[in-house]
Amino acid sequence: MIEYQIKIKRERKNIFQDGWVWRMAWRDGRHNFSRLFLFVASLITGIAALVSIGSLNYSLQDELNRNAKELLGADLVVNSNKKIDTAFYQLLDSNASALAQDAEMASMVMFMNSRQSRLVKLTAWQGDFPFYGQLVTAPADAYQRMQSGEYAMLDETLATQYEISSDDSLKIGNRMFKVAGVVRKIPGGGQLTSTLAPAVYISLRSLDSTGLVQFGSRVAYSVYVKNESEKETNALVAKLNPIIGKYGYSYETVAARREGLGEGFQSVYRFFSLLAFVALLLGCVGVASSVHIYAREKREEVAVLRCMGSTGWQAFTIYFIQILFLGCVGSVLGAAIGMALQQLIPVVFGDYLPVQVTFAVSWRALLEGVVLGVVVSVLFTLLPLVNVRFVPPLAVLRSDSVLTKRFSKTRAVAMGLIVLFPIVAAAYQTQSAVAGLLFGIAIALALGGLVAIASLLLWLVRQFFPVHARFVFRHALSNLFRPNNQTTVLLVTIGLGAFIIATLNITQSSLLNQVEFTGTENQSNTILFDIQTPQRDGVVALMNEQGLPVNQVVPIVTCRLLEIKGKSIEAIQKDTAKIPDWALTREYRVTYRDSLHLSEKLIKGQLQRVERSVNDSIFVTISEGMHETLNVQVGDSLVFDIQGVPLKAHISGIRQVDWPKDPPNFIFVFPTGVLENAPQIWVAATRIEEDVQAATFQQRLVMGFPNVSLIDLRLILATVQELFDKVAMVVRFLAFFSIVTGLVVLAGAVLNSRFARMKENALLRTLGARTRQIALITLIEYCYLGFFAALTGILFAVGAGWLLCRFFFEVAFAVAVGELAYIAVGVLTMTVLIGWLNSRKVIRTPPLQVLRKEG
Amino acid sequence: MPELVLKADGLTKSYRTEAGSLTVLDQVSFEVQAGEALSIIGPSGSGKTTLLGLCAGLDVPTSGTLSLMGFKLNNMSEDDRAYIRNRFVGFVFQNFQLLQTLTALENVMVPLELRGERQALPLAKKWLDRVGLAERMNHYPSQLSGGEQQRVALARAFMTAPRILFADEPTGNLDGENAENITERLFQINREEKTTLVLVTHNLELAQKTDRILRMKGGRIIEESRTTRA
Repeated sequence: MIEYQIKIKRERKNIFQDGWVWRMAWRDGRHNFSRLFLFVASLITGIAALVSIGSLNYSLQDELNRNAKELLGADLVVNSNKKIDTAFYQLLDSNASALAQDAEMASMVMFMNSRQSRLVKLTAWQGDFPFYGQLVTAPADAYQRMQSGEYAMLDETLATQYEISSDDSLKIGNRMFKVAGVVRKIPGGGQLTSTLAPAVYISLRSLDSTGLVQFGSRVAYSVYVKNESEKETNALVAKLNPIIGKYGYSYETVAARREGLGEGFQSVYRFFSLLAFVALLLGCVGVASSVHIYAREKREEVAVLRCMGSTGWQAFTIYFIQILFLGCVGSVLGAAIGMALQQLIPVVFGDYLPVQVTFAVSWRALLEGVVLGVVVSVLFTLLPLVNVRFVPPLAVLRSDSVLTKRFSKTRAVAMGLIVLFPIVAAAYQTQSAVAGLLFGIAIALALGGLVAIASLLLWLVRQFFPVHARFVFRHALSNLFRPNNQTTVLLVTIGLGAFIIATLNITQSSLLNQVEFTGTENQSNTILFDIQTPQRDGVVALMNEQGLPVNQVVPIVTCRLLEIKGKSIEAIQKDTAKIPDWALTREYRVTYRDSLHLSEKLIKGQLQRVERSVNDSIFVTISEGMHETLNVQVGDSLVFDIQGVPLKAHISGIRQVDWPKDPPNFIFVFPTGVLENAPQIWVAATRIEEDVQAATFQQRLVMGFPNVSLIDLRLILATVQELFDKVAMVVRFLAFFSIVTGLVVLAGAVLNSRFARMKENALLRTLGARTRQIALITLIEYCYLGFFAALTGILFAVGAGWLLCRFFFEVAFAVAVGELAYIAVGVLTMTVLIGWLNSRKVIRTPPLQVLRKEG
Repeated sequence: MPELVLKADGLTKSYRTEAGSLTVLDQVSFEVQAGEALSIIGPSGSGKTTLLGLCAGLDVPTSGTLSLMGFKLNNMSEDDRAYIRNRFVGFVFQNFQLLQTLTALENVMVPLELRGERQALPLAKKWLDRVGLAERMNHYPSQLSGGEQQRVALARAFMTAPRILFADEPTGNLDGENAENITERLFQINREEKTTLVLVTHNLELAQKTDRILRMKGGRIIEESRTTRA
């Protein structure tokens, strides 16, 4: 025989030309689809969350574009914190087809039916506002009646809360108003706005008669402009641009309002979509883990196929097609569920939306969801499936044969893509490469942290294994270390959901703890402001008469900055290393005293003082943080504009201020002997324990000093709590997706290890174990799993919560242990439930059936 | 002169282990002519399964040369060897190695389908009929007895009209009656199809049915003998 070596000329077919791989994918898959589908199901929740949020976002953006003018109610709005100059008004008038005006301020209102009073946003209107959109009132003619000057309207939520009807009266400042009706809908308004700052509306011409506008009162004036065309508006804007800065006014166009609202919601959308994306990534981890086991189980079959002449790529393609198909099905299902969920979101969170969102199928969100689902199912199964290519045919003879290749280009590319994917996808969602990169790093840190904690816990269990515990407890615990049990993956996936919820809880507890005024200390919980100097003694006398402590009576002088370290504000604004504009141009409300308040600590330099010997130098103190914002240090000079009078001062020290503690607190504190003669108003602080006492005091205050407003910090606390609860609900809603994903992964893991469990159980039964004992072992195993998953998430949350509180929110770290225990119990219960539901068949299978199968 | 189907020359196979290099096959040389039936016997660990794996192109030797149907397998890629297997080789394994998710018919069709041939279905039916399983062609392996599964494996092995059939303990998992049945069918079909047979077995009685016996021990051929059948 002549020995010769030839190069084999094989026909190479791609996936679409090779019908055999498709037939094999179907033949093999028909028995595995239910099981494989469970793997892919872990994607469904993530896709559903993403599509629902994405779809809502697109629908909302569409609505914003469609109803842009209605959001503003006019073509242009000019805003000012002082009365609009007559010449300026005339300029607007000569360039508009119609004008309307309003003035907004905070004020106390007394509801005469119950003689209760509260702080409201008082809006005084003039003209036919709104020019676009609808002002919906009940009755319909309420606005016209209000314009007569005798009537007031109020937000429907406020009317409901105080049981106000159209026969009732309100006392606003010095005047009584009859109620003309309630406002149900107002352009640019929403339920959230009216919850946070409920409004009362009067006509602008009756505002002066209330006596509320006095020296120091903070009033925001607006002029609404209607033009016949966008061209006219643009022409007006062009005229305003050169002069508006001189007046100290600002303006807002429809486009700016739309952009502002759009951007605001876009930021919220990005945050929530990233949360949903986390659920999807968890699903990916679950899918990859399950497919890894699936591919390992298929090893023998692959070896047989390779014996018969199949190439590595053909074997790989069979399983790849299965995953691709299920990825498509899962993605479509997830997207459909997401669309359905979108219906729920506006119902639950409608308060947050600036416009009413009508249902529309967002094809873009749908397509994005399906594409994303298919991409992740392919990407995350590629790595474990690639191993199929390298299963040696020798494995038919020797099951311990190792893979023919450990490294391949495909595997390296898959790994690279997996690392890149979260970054690229997050960058796409946030439209920012930096955000994408940060998200990628954050995810890597979070998953790395969770894996580290989970591994540590499992290591500790092994190190301190309870060798003397009862058999069922020991056996259940050792089951966590069963091959293919995916324990670490489960701890991470379920733990991540627990982590998100627990972190939210810790942050909420810490923040609320910070604004909790009802503690044992005698801190102020009621602030009285806008007290004129002649009223000061009277207000103090009233507080004394009511038996209320006078914690503070402090003067407030308004001023602005003119220079910092010898450089004018305008010059600083032009600098490249910029100090934020708001810090440079804002109005500062300062006080004067020679001592520290109980909420303050001097951390650098000396207290504020006047050094008569050194050219009457004035030394002020600045709050910590603000000195960094303004880039000033002890000894630096500042020039203040005290209502037209420039005043040079130096910084003598830096105060650490515990802002929520016993307000009001101040950024700048002047020494005594400088500002006493400047125009000023006064703020008083007291503590009121009882609601009845608060109501009586407020009533007397409104009657005696109608222009003085009162902030009940308990009411604010309740509002903050309400707001927090609503935001927390959204976050919990999304964290729930992560937990559901984790539980789907758990169900998949239980299915994966089903035969191993059956064999174990058969063996235990053969050795004499009763069904009850086997059931108990299973239940305890899931209890351990749930407990360790919750512990993993909560431990990591405590760490992350501490970091957030310490460095981001800069508040004291507070943990509500009881609430964290609830979270742990919830996670544990769900884990046990899902595990148990998927294990019943395993427990019920007779041992002989298993042993026969094994034989 | 009869055609040389398989030629092994100085085949050596070593594995790296933690304890060092482990040689499981040491300088093995032999030839197999077309139509010949050869059995490889020896105690466990003697290297017979390793030798079968190398001869069938399931693995490559550490040194030495191996040619199968004139193709030198040493330097071929795994996919090229797969092509050779599909064209010229049939397998019968001790534990049947049927694909559990495929019916008996589908299992038999696989090797021919891999070639892209369209005649797989009638031929597979014919072969299942030939091994007496025409009535059970739509059953899954788990629904068949061990003997029936091995008959399906036989049908699958002969489906592509292989030039050489490698059988690894084909009766090792079967009871006496079924083992007898399979042995009878294996040799009968082998004769009818004029297939070369390389059989690895512990069973001396089975080995006696082949033309030649290679006895192995410690990775070497220690004896080569002709049987009475030859």
